[in-house]
Amino acid sequence: MRENIPDQPGSLIAPRPAPPERKLPWGRLDAFWLLLIAALLAAGALRAQGAFSYEWNWSSVWPYIIKTDPKTGQWAPNLLVQGLLTTLRLALWGMALALAIGLLMGWMRNHPRLLLRLISASYVMTVRNIPPVVFVFVFVYFIASQFMPSLALDQRLSELPASAQEVLAVLFGPAALINNFFLGLVCLSVFSGAYVTEIVRAGLQAVPPGQAEATRSLGMSEGDSLRFVVWPQALRQVLPALSGQFIQLIKDSSLVSLVSIQELTFMAQDVQVSTQRVFEVFVLTAAVYFCICFVLSQSLAYLERRHARAR
Amino acid sequence: MFIPAPSSVQARPLRAGIMPGKGPPSDRHQRHTYTMTLSDPISARPPPAAPALAWHRHGAWELLQFALAMALLVALAHQGAQQMAYQWKWEKVPGYLVRVIDGQWLAGPLLKGLYVTLQLAWQSALLALLLGGLGAWMRVAPSRVGRALAWSYVELIRNTPLLVQILVCYFILAPTLGLGREATGVLCLALYEGAFATEIIRGALQAVPRGQREAALSLGLSDAQAERDIVWPQALPLMLPPLAGVLVNLVKHSAIVSVIAIFDLTTQARSIIADTFMAFEIWLTTAALYLCVTVCLSLAIHALERRLRRR
Amino acid sequence: MSIRRFLSVCALTLLGALSALSPAQAQQDPLLETIKKRGKLQVGFSSFVPWAMRDKQGQWVGFEIDVSTKLAQDLGVQLELIPTAWDAIIPSLIAGKFDLIIGGMTITPARQEQIDFTSAYSTSGQGIAASRQLASQLKWPEGYNSPNVTFTCRRGVAGCKTVEEKWPKATLRQFDDDAMAFQEVINGNAHAVISSEPKPSFFTLANPGKLFKPAAENVVNTYEGFGLRKGNPASLANFNGWITKNQAWLKQRHEYWFRTQDWAGQVPKL
Repeated sequence: MRENIPDQPGSLIAPRPAPPERKLPWGRLDAFWLLLIAALLAAGALRAQGAFSYEWNWSSVWPYIIKTDPKTGQWAPNLLVQGLLTTLRLALWGMALALAIGLLMGWMRNHPRLLLRLISASYVMTVRNIPPVVFVFVFVYFIASQFMPSLALDQRLSELPASAQEVLAVLFGPAALINNFFLGLVCLSVFSGAYVTEIVRAGLQAVPPGQAEATRSLGMSEGDSLRFVVWPQALRQVLPALSGQFIQLIKDSSLVSLVSIQELTFMAQDVQVSTQRVFEVFVLTAAVYFCICFVLSQSLAYLERRHARAR
Repeated sequence: MFIPAPSSVQARPLRAGIMPGKGPPSDRHQRHTYTMTLSDPISARPPPAAPALAWHRHGAWELLQFALAMALLVALAHQGAQQMAYQWKWEKVPGYLVRVIDGQWLAGPLLKGLYVTLQLAWQSALLALLLGGLGAWMRVAPSRVGRALAWSYVELIRNTPLLVQILVCYFILAPTLGLGREATGVLCLALYEGAFATEIIRGALQAVPRGQREAALSLGLSDAQAERDIVWPQALPLMLPPLAGVLVNLVKHSAIVSVIAIFDLTTQARSIIADTFMAFEIWLTTAALYLCVTVCLSLAIHALERRLRRR
Repeated sequence: MSIRRFLSVCALTLLGALSALSPAQAQQDPLLETIKKRGKLQVGFSSFVPWAMRDKQGQWVGFEIDVSTKLAQDLGVQLELIPTAWDAIIPSLIAGKFDLIIGGMTITPARQEQIDFTSAYSTSGQGIAASRQLASQLKWPEGYNSPNVTFTCRRGVAGCKTVEEKWPKATLRQFDDDAMAFQEVINGNAHAVISSEPKPSFFTLANPGKLFKPAAENVVNTYEGFGLRKGNPASLANFNGWITKNQAWLKQRHEYWFRTQDWAGQVPKL
């Protein structure tokens, strides 16, 4: 009987597994591509010799990665590594905060009350429809200047005991830059929060409505039903998209360099201004971002595959 | 699984809107038994309609609350600006949008920038679609080198920030290829969105059930005919909505070309601000302009999706 | 109306009333008092060789850094340096992100509408470096006033206004920083770049085959002052007094950073 049911997308019967992939033999198409690449590289090299008015000089850039303290002779991270650490901190804490915002707004998105739906829909629509560059400028110079001075983070930080300050320095970066860091953090979180909202909303909608109804008929409160029944099921849908959003956040963190948050791209611009080595610095920065994002995306994809297989 | 309802069972539907803990409603003269109807298994019921923006009294009240909340936000913003002793110069903003010289209506710098942005967007969109089609074909064509090339292109673009990409394009690619500034901007945006388009087109092609292609081949159609007449027409409705989303993203990401001083909307805005220091007014106007464009595009996409779904 | 709706209306109107009635907390404290109470002087600046740049150790060095350090020392407070994008430095000052702009900011009438300037603590000039490839045939300065000529500058510097005034027909491209503006001309994508001296001289010396200086003297002579928010006349007078008292020291430091290259060993080679 199974053979009579046509292969339609979304059919109730599980589709036939794909036949095992045979190793592709080398063919004419491969030869064509290889020749094309060789020709392009040759043409590029020829043109580069003539058109390029630039002398590569990597030696002036290395000192900005690791410096040797002249007094103690010890190695210490210099600007580029410090910027990289800031980027990583921004990404981790930004994701946590964006998740908090996204969870709240995502829940509000499908709430029966119109007010909550309007608030969350206008937030998502506004943030997702303006360019990231414009959002960063508007947020930092318009919104953040309202509440940042009243927070006075650097004051509060200096009042804490030294051990606490050390721990916080590892988590959030040097105390002198805490205002700067926090501003970038909030900006990125509010920006990513809109995307996380949509992810959470899709995840919550993917859970069959019967689940929520069953919890109501059992007498569970809404909070309990969300916590114990709906959210664990939504998580399955939400996790792959969230991992993609995390990688996107690492890339978006480069935008806050335009408002002088001292992360990797900003430091790279600084180094570039000081050394006048435009190309080396940009190629190095691109390579660093690529390594981080690529390694992360491959490991997250691997984890997903393992998780899917294990179920 | 469908369970046919035995006609002898008295079926009553679950009452919607039961608040747990409140007990049965007060019409005590009837004894209600809350049984699940077996003729209507929960899994087969269509999901309840998404809460629409119903325009009855209840909804109007919530709308009023929302309007109050927005007014509160505006008041807070105004107060914040007062705190900074910022002098609003809104009356100057229309002059940057349109100018009337000798009875002639001329576009001001902001509208000229918007025109450049839109030009950039549609040119990159065409190129991105081409690149996406080419990339998708390379990824599924039976060629190892082709697949490796397309995969590395997609990974390279997806794992580096756009800001770094445009700087690399402008300082390294453009002199090599002898491209002008606008051409570099178009190329960079097209390369960026082309990677996403590649994945979308490839995903749509692979979402068409394999059986379709196999059936076509078994009927005697050639490879090319099977692709052209059977697979692509089914893949097209799947890929069009996400590709339209790529177009919206293009308009947003085009703001990044202000880094290489193309006279687009963001560049004009930043130049005006650098001259006149009217940071807030100009940024809010610019954000509103981008919002208009993207919202119109999104609405058009929704209409397109609805039309496609109806077919 | 149910109890819940009534309460939410009350809450909203209360919030609205509070925000409207609470007095605008304008910066009424004299600036110096705030600085002394905080114990830190927050200075906004931007990287501009040799006003401020990073040395090989990643520390900020330069003329402005020296001035800020001495000012903080004389005030008896610590110094906090806040690097900011140049085209956003005035909005940042107004937004309260730092107390002063000590970044070689040229005193211009347009800027004086937004912020207050102290008296000049240094003087400089704007110079042009032109592309040998594109501009060697152009007559100085009339030949540059044509729509086919492209100038570049860093967004927000006073030089941009100078180009718009002196060469109104030329196209002006503004970049986020000087290095890119100069690179445009070096690559042959623009005819000339305007920047504050001594950068055009430094770059021309470093790229003799690509750049030349069409004029030996400065296009415009400029004066730089500290930037303060408006409404702090007492602090302004105080800073003016400091500048007057330290004229000799300022001149000596200016000579060191701008006329000599003794500091070149600390920073990477151009």
